[in-house]
Parts: sequence; structure tokens; C-alpha cells
Amino acid sequence: MLLQLNNIFKWVNSGGQRVFLLKDINLEVEEGEFISIMGPSGSGKSTLLNVIGMLDAFDEGEYNFMDESVHTLKEKHRANLYKQYIGFVFQAYHLIDELTVYENLEMPLLYKNMKSSERKAVVADMLDRFNIVGKKDLFPTQLSGGQQQLVGVARALIGKPKLILADEPTGNLNSQQGEEIMEIFKQLNSEGVTVIQVTHSEKNAGYGSRIINLLDGRKIEG
Amino acid sequence: MYKLFLKIATRYLLKNKLYSFINIFGLAIGIASFVLIMIYIKNERSYDKFEGSENVYRAYMDYLVGDTFEAGDAMTYNASGPSLKQEFPEVLDYVRFYYFEKVTFVLGDNIFEQPMGSLADASYFNIFKYPLLKGTKETVLKDPNTVVLSETLARKLFGSEDPFQKTVSAFWDGTEVVLTVTGVMPDPPQNIHFKNNFLISFNTENTWGIFNEHQLKPNWNMNNYYTYIKTASNTNAAQLRQKIIDSDIEEDTEERHNIEPIEDIHLYSNKPYEVEANGSITRIKFLSAIAFIILILSWLNYINLSTTKSLERAKETGIRKVSGAQRPELMMQSLVESILLNMVAIVIALVLTLVLLPLYNNYTGKNLSLEWADIESFLPIFGFILFGMVLAGLYPAIVLSSYSPAKALKGKIKTSTGGLNVRKGLIVAQFLATIILLVGTIVVTKQINFLQNQPIGTNLNQIIALHGEVVSKEVDSLVISKYNVLESELENLSFVKNVAIAQTYPGDSFDNLSSSRGVTLPNGDVDNNNVFYSYHVRPDYFNLVGIEFLAGHTFIPTAAKNYNQVVVNEAFLRLHNITSVNEILGKNLKFWGNSDWQVTGIIKDYHHFGSKRAVLPMIIRNQYDVYNLLIKLDDTAISESGFTNSINQIEKKWNEIFPRSSFNYTFLDKKFQAQYNDDKAFGIAFQVFTLLAILIASLGLFGLTSYTVVQRKKEIGVRKVNGASVAGIMKLLNQDFVKWIALAFIIAVPISLYAMNKWLEGFAYKTNISWWVFALAGIVALAIALLTVSWQSFKAAMANPVESLKEE
Ligand SMILES: Nc1ncnc2c1ncn2[C@@H]1O[C@H](COP(=O)(O)OP(=O)(O)OP(=O)(O)O)[C@@H](O)[C@H]1O
Ligand SMILES: [Mg+2]
Repeated sequence: MLLQLNNIFKWVNSGGQRVFLLKDINLEVEEGEFISIMGPSGSGKSTLLNVIGMLDAFDEGEYNFMDESVHTLKEKHRANLYKQYIGFVFQAYHLIDELTVYENLEMPLLYKNMKSSERKAVVADMLDRFNIVGKKDLFPTQLSGGQQQLVGVARALIGKPKLILADEPTGNLNSQQGEEIMEIFKQLNSEGVTVIQVTHSEKNAGYGSRIINLLDGRKIEG
Repeated sequence: MYKLFLKIATRYLLKNKLYSFINIFGLAIGIASFVLIMIYIKNERSYDKFEGSENVYRAYMDYLVGDTFEAGDAMTYNASGPSLKQEFPEVLDYVRFYYFEKVTFVLGDNIFEQPMGSLADASYFNIFKYPLLKGTKETVLKDPNTVVLSETLARKLFGSEDPFQKTVSAFWDGTEVVLTVTGVMPDPPQNIHFKNNFLISFNTENTWGIFNEHQLKPNWNMNNYYTYIKTASNTNAAQLRQKIIDSDIEEDTEERHNIEPIEDIHLYSNKPYEVEANGSITRIKFLSAIAFIILILSWLNYINLSTTKSLERAKETGIRKVSGAQRPELMMQSLVESILLNMVAIVIALVLTLVLLPLYNNYTGKNLSLEWADIESFLPIFGFILFGMVLAGLYPAIVLSSYSPAKALKGKIKTSTGGLNVRKGLIVAQFLATIILLVGTIVVTKQINFLQNQPIGTNLNQIIALHGEVVSKEVDSLVISKYNVLESELENLSFVKNVAIAQTYPGDSFDNLSSSRGVTLPNGDVDNNNVFYSYHVRPDYFNLVGIEFLAGHTFIPTAAKNYNQVVVNEAFLRLHNITSVNEILGKNLKFWGNSDWQVTGIIKDYHHFGSKRAVLPMIIRNQYDVYNLLIKLDDTAISESGFTNSINQIEKKWNEIFPRSSFNYTFLDKKFQAQYNDDKAFGIAFQVFTLLAILIASLGLFGLTSYTVVQRKKEIGVRKVNGASVAGIMKLLNQDFVKWIALAFIIAVPISLYAMNKWLEGFAYKTNISWWVFALAGIVALAIALLTVSWQSFKAAMANPVESLKEE
């Protein structure tokens, strides 16, 4: 098992009252799954994804990731954990505007203290794989949305993660560009990478093997 | 990884040009100001340091005033040095100086006045470990009629010839001595308080004939000598000082000897009869404060701007975190940026400094420099700057790295109230500093104006003082009669109003003024406590310099015993509680062993030393001696004939009567005003640095508002759509700043009031710090802030709301 959420609660205090963002979430994810999270706007999809990605804390419950109990880990260890095993893809791409395509891809490797020669090889490999060698010296603002998201996915993959978390990765793309990204996910998944994506599109959800529906922070079975 | 940091930083700074410019420019100004002030202060603190200087002290006189002793005279007696050495075993050696403001050197037809030199004991080079280029330190000043010349003076006299063992004539007060050159020393450095261009062996006083027999003997009557002592290196200075104070080597209860470290003289001593006008520790303290304020201001600016800006970069930080960056790495990134920015600023600051130093030197006549040779001594300064810039980079770094990635990725982060308070605090601090500096500038300017506009009791316009040296072997009486001829010939010139001869004049140094104690008043009271000051003039003097009589009149030259006539001033009357002029007018005073000095007049107080000092009690005597020939020129006549032409005519007359002589002249009003030069320079420094501080603060404010306005663009748009007016929006955006400035103002008032009162303590006559000084400072600060802010808020308020809403 890759990860397991047990009775996860997350809330914020607003006007002296607890507002629940996540309520009693239980979830088990096996390695190699392709999961889609769906639900109306504001239902807590992004929140859940962030919790899984350890980008956000939760208030109650247990979270085990690859036999590590995340809820007991210090921030530093948590960061080490996701840095090693998780890649993120965002709706808004979230590339650093001051860096070229090449440098954006290289960045996560720097934080892994990889040697320069190795870095070069890995980045070159990735550029090749995504057919963006010609774009490597351009800055993100010089690319189309689809191209930016390609770079975003490439960056998520560069650290060879076990798990890809994608929050509406196609939300800003036209259907053709979206399909391209989904095909990539499918290909990755077949190579053994676990994928969890948030999506509003039934069609995109169809790429996955399992759908989780959220409503008001609660998982609804069905 | 640092390469990446550097790359991002560079690209970011290049992309955000306005932000980078404001930051770098602000920092550069701050650093340049700091370095400039520090160079100046370092120079001021470097005075009189030489090998063993820590064991060298100057002896001076304390006078009893009322029932406490006050530092009364930087000069001592010719017996002081020998007695101190004899009485106190800690005193290893002494050197005495008899100082000449100028001596006229004559070598064949080469006649010129050389300022600043002394008779000095042979021990000079044993105490002042300055180098000697030619000659032997132990013997150069041993024999009478020998002289050590500065390099420049030697060249002036002998050109490229070797001056060693050559002879030259020196004239002082019309008396000649022939000196043999036994040594050449380097020119005096600029940072010593006692600059000598020549040293004549002390025992030359026996052969020169400028002193009478009585004065030559060791005595406690004529304190015209500067005395420096050298103590054993293990001496407890405080103890020795106490012993000297307690001892009564002179056997005089009205005064006592005291000592002070030579290294402290330049900044801490301001006694009558200083060798040169010294610096002031108060000024140094104020300038240091200003330097630190400006530097800190520019750092606050940096912190404020970069923290605000970092909000915009939350997304980037989030991405980094998601990509595996951890806090230390994020903080390093932020620090690298800060250091990069500061480095650029430092380079610009150094260039600015190098450009400004010559200008500054030109203006002040100093010779300050920033050289690689003494870069080492600037290391602490640069260390401090480095330390500050790391500190300034740290806060934004902490703020930036503390965002949780999930929140950061949502884009714009709402500032936490804590962060907002910090930034408000920074703005308040900036304005606090600005207002304090503004108050300071206004008070300093006001005080200098006050000093200059203070009635000085004289009219020194269009008066020149001729003080050439007559180099002839004629007897004094012949020279005096020639002076008489000259006087009447000058008076006949169309552009000359009046001529008088005087020993000294207002604005001249202490040198030609004698100080004494011991006077018997007409009612028989004897005062041995208080010092009075005295000089002699010819009867026309008072009228010429515009000194008014309260009662009586000037000397009557035709009277019998006219040379015993004196005039006293109001301060003299006050000192002795004389309330009615009749108690003294026409009556006799007794001093200097003479019993019949007849008081012919009482003059109104005038300022002999500018209005920095209180008016001194004076007795002015009637005596004919050839010192300064004061000439009052006629305004209208001068404008007709031209000034240079007039001076040429005067010089011609002078040369006709005294063919072998030097000629030079001084403008009295200029010389008098020169007494305020240091204060004026301080005032200008204050103004310039206040201006810079304001510039830095407004840059910060400009940057900050341009950012907040962008942030609130949508809000402004919504408000406008809902009917808010331009004025209403501007009020909304400006009111915060008004509150902050009000707060800064409230804190600034007591601080600046305290500081400026401290500064004013150094003046005998002070301007008052009225309420409007603060009001003006507050209004200026407010106006500058509102102008800066409104520039931005007006643009925002005028923007088309549809446009700003569409952008979101
Ligand atoms: N820091 C927070 N404080 C208060 N409420 C929050 C916070 N973060 C999220 N929420 C609320 O939690 C709820 C879930 O938000 P979340 O972003 O997970 O929704 P989502 O399902 O991803 O919606 P969408 O499809 O629009 O992206 C929303 O109602 C949101 O307002
Ligand atoms: Mg969402």
C-alpha cells in the first residue's frame, strides 16, 4: 500500500465556529492506481490533494505514507518525504517566471543535491521525452498554456516520483491540449507511477481506474 | 545552487527595474553618506597619534572663577615644564613652545611671511616622535640660533640646494635673528593640532632680543608657552593629574596646573589660547548619529520594500517548496538577493564617495581620502555595513520562507497583521528619523543665523588690516615715525576713510590679546580672582571699528601721561558689580604694578570672538606700537576706483616707505565670519544629510505605495463603480500615512528637543527652539509624504474602473 488516510479531519475557525474543510476522510491508495477526485466547487478537492501531498496540515486523524506516519513527522521530514516521492502538477502550471524551461526543470534536482553532470543528463532526457528541446532556453511567459503545462508535468516527473498529484491539470487548457496531458498520465501510470488527479471532467476522470466523490468535505460512496 | 540563486536574483532585479532602482539607490545613498561621515570622523579621531603619544600630555592652567576652577588657558609659564619634571618623577621630559603665528624669513631679496612655527626645546624630537629628514634628532635644536625647517619651507628658501648648515634671517616684531639650518622635517601632517612649519631652538630666545631680561628668567608671570610632558609608560594618568592639581608648584592659590592627554586635545579642548581652532566631540557625536540614522533608514527601506515585494513572490516560494526547497535554502535565496543588491549598492556608494570626497575636500580645505593603504582601518566600517545588510536581508527571508506551500500557491497572500504592523512600524521609524533630522536642521540653521545676525557691537565692513613685517635694521622709534607718515599718506587717499593702529581686532586670534589677573578698582577693592583681557590701540580705533561708548570717550593723545589711559567694557563693569559709570569713569585702576591707569571711557559690549563666546571683560590701553594698520575704505569711492586698484595703491605707499618688507592684508568682516566656518560646515552637513534622509524615506514610501495601490486596484475599481469620488479614494489611500506620520511626530518631538538642547549647550548665545520649529518639521514631513503617496493614489483614483476590474 502506498498511502492510507484514516479519519482525517481538517477545519478552520471562523467567527468562533469550526468550519470543516475535510470531514472523516478514509482512503487507501495502492501503488499503481490512477484515481480521480471529483465534486462540486468548494467541496474540498484541492484541500484533500494538498493534505495527501503534505503541503497542508490536517487537524485530526492518521496519515501513513509508505509506512511512515506523516502525522507524527516534523515539517522537515515531511518535506524530505514528499520531495523524494511526490510530484505536483497544477492547474496554473506554477512555473517560475524568472527561470528558463531548462532551469525550471533543473530546479528540483538542485534541492536534491544532484551532481551537475547527472542533472544535465536527467534534464536532457526529460526535454527529449516531452519534445521540448527546442524550447529549453525560453521563459515560461514565452510558451503557450499547453506547452507550459507540459513543462509542469515534466518538472513533476523529473525527480522520478512514485506518486503524481495533479490539481485540475487541464483546467486551463483546450480539449486537445488536455487530452495530450491525460495521455501522458495514462502512459506514466502504465509504467507504474501512481496518479491522483482532481478534475471536473467526466471524460478525464474516465482515464482513471477509480473515482472518489467529495461533497462538503465528506467522501460520498457511489 | 548559489549559481541558480544568483541567476534568479539577477533576473528578478532586472525585471523589476523600479523596485531595484529604489532599493539600490536608497542603499547606495545610505552607505555613501555613512562612509563619508565615517571618513571624516576617522580623520577627526586620528589627531596627534604618534609613537608614544599615549604618554604625552599638555599642561594647561586652571583659573579660579568664583570658587571653582575652570580651564582657563592652554598656555603655561616657561617655569612650568622644568618644575613639573623636577617635582614629579613620573614626568620624564618636557618640551616648551613659544608659538609664532608668523615669522618673516629673509634670504637676500627673498622676503616672505611664514605662518606657524615655534621656539622649541631640544627635547622636542624625544617627545614628538616625528621623523626628521635631515639632521640628528638629539642635537638639531640644541644650540642657540638653529632652526629645523619643513620640507616646503626649505624649498621655498633654498630651492633645490641643500639647506643644511645654511643661514637665514628671521624677523619677528621687527627684531632679527640669524639662524643656521640644522635639520629638515616633513611638512606637518594635517591631523595634528600643533602644526609647525619651523622649529627654532628654544635657547635662541636669549640671543634674539624679543624678550627682556625679566621675561627670559624662569618665571610665573608670563604664561605664553605651550608645555607638553612625557610620562613613564606605566604612569597612572588620573593619579598624576590629581597630584599636579593638588600640588602648588607655582605657589598661587588663584590658579593651578592641570594636564590633558595630547590625543584628546583636538576633540575635547576649547580653551582660550588654543594653537588652532579645535574640532568638537559634540559635532562628532551628532554626525555619527546622523550617519547611523541614514544607514539604518536605508536598511529599513530595504526591509520594507523587499518584504512587501515578497508577498508578490509567494507563488514562486510555494513552487520552490513543492519542488523540495526547505527553509534554509529559501532563506539563502533571499539573502543572496539581499547581498547582491547591497553589493551593487556598495559599488555605487564607493564610486559616489570617491566622486564626492574631492568636492568635500575642496569645500572644507581638508584632505580626506579613501586609500587602499588604510583600507584595513575601514574594515570595521565595512564589517558593520555587511552585518547590517545580512540583518536587513534576514527579515524578508524569514517572512518569505514561512508561508505554507498550499497557501503560498494560492497566489497573493493576504498580509498577516503581524507583518503589516512591522511594516507600519518601519514607516513610523523612517518618519521619526526624518522628523528628528528636520528639527535638527532647522535648529542648526536657526542658530547659525542667530549667531550671524547677533549684533556684534562693531561694524567691520570694508576694513582691512595691514600686517606686513618691516625687515630693516632701523631702531623702533624710526619705524614708528615712518608708520606715522604712512598713516597720514594713506588717510589722504580718496578711497580711505580712516586709519588706526591696533594690536588686535575683533575676529583675530587670542594670540595678540593678553590675559591677566589682579586689578585694584577705584574704590580700593582688590580682585585677584578674575581674569581680564587686554590689548592696546590708538585713539581712532573705536570709531573705526564702530565700537560705541556708553560713557566717556576715547583716549586723548594730547594729555600728559596719555599712554596710561584705558577704556573698559560693560562686561568689566558687570564682573565687578559696578552699577554706575561714575564709580569708575575718570578714576584710576591699578594693574600690572602700575597705579594710575586712568579710565577715559566705557565702551558698550562688543564681540571680540564672535557670538559663540560670552563677551570677555576687557581693558583696552592706549599705546603706540606697530602691529596692525586698520584701514576703513570708503564704499562709494572703492566702487569707483575698483578694489584691486585701491589695494595696489595702498601696497605702493607701503613699499615706498618700507622697501624691505612683506605685505599682506586681511578683511576684518571675512575673518570675523570665518569663526563660524566650522558651525556653518556642520549646518551644511546637517542640511545635506537631512535631504538625503528625506530622499531615502520618500523613495521607500513611493515604492511601498506603488505596490499597495496596485494591490488595491480592484478594491478601488469596485468603490468607484459604486460611486466613490476621486477625492474620496485619495483620502482612503492617504489617511493611513497621515496617522503614521502623526505618531512619528509625537515621538520625535521630545527626542529632538533633548538632542538639540544638548547641542546648543556649546554656545554662549543660543537661539530658542520655538514651537514652530516642530510644526515646520512636522508639516514638511507630512507634505513630502503626502506628495509622494498622492502621486500614486491620484493615478489609482483616476484610473478607469472598468479597466482595473477587467484585469483581475
Ligand atoms: N484557509 C482557508 N480558510 C477558510 N476556508 C478555506 C481555506 N482554504 C479553503 N477553504 C474553504 O474550503 C473549502 C474547500 O476548498 P477547496 O479549495 O478544497 O475546494 P475545491 O473543491 O478545490 O474547489 P474548486 O473546484 O473550486 O477548486 C472552500 O469552501 C473554501 O472556501
Ligand atoms: Mg480546487
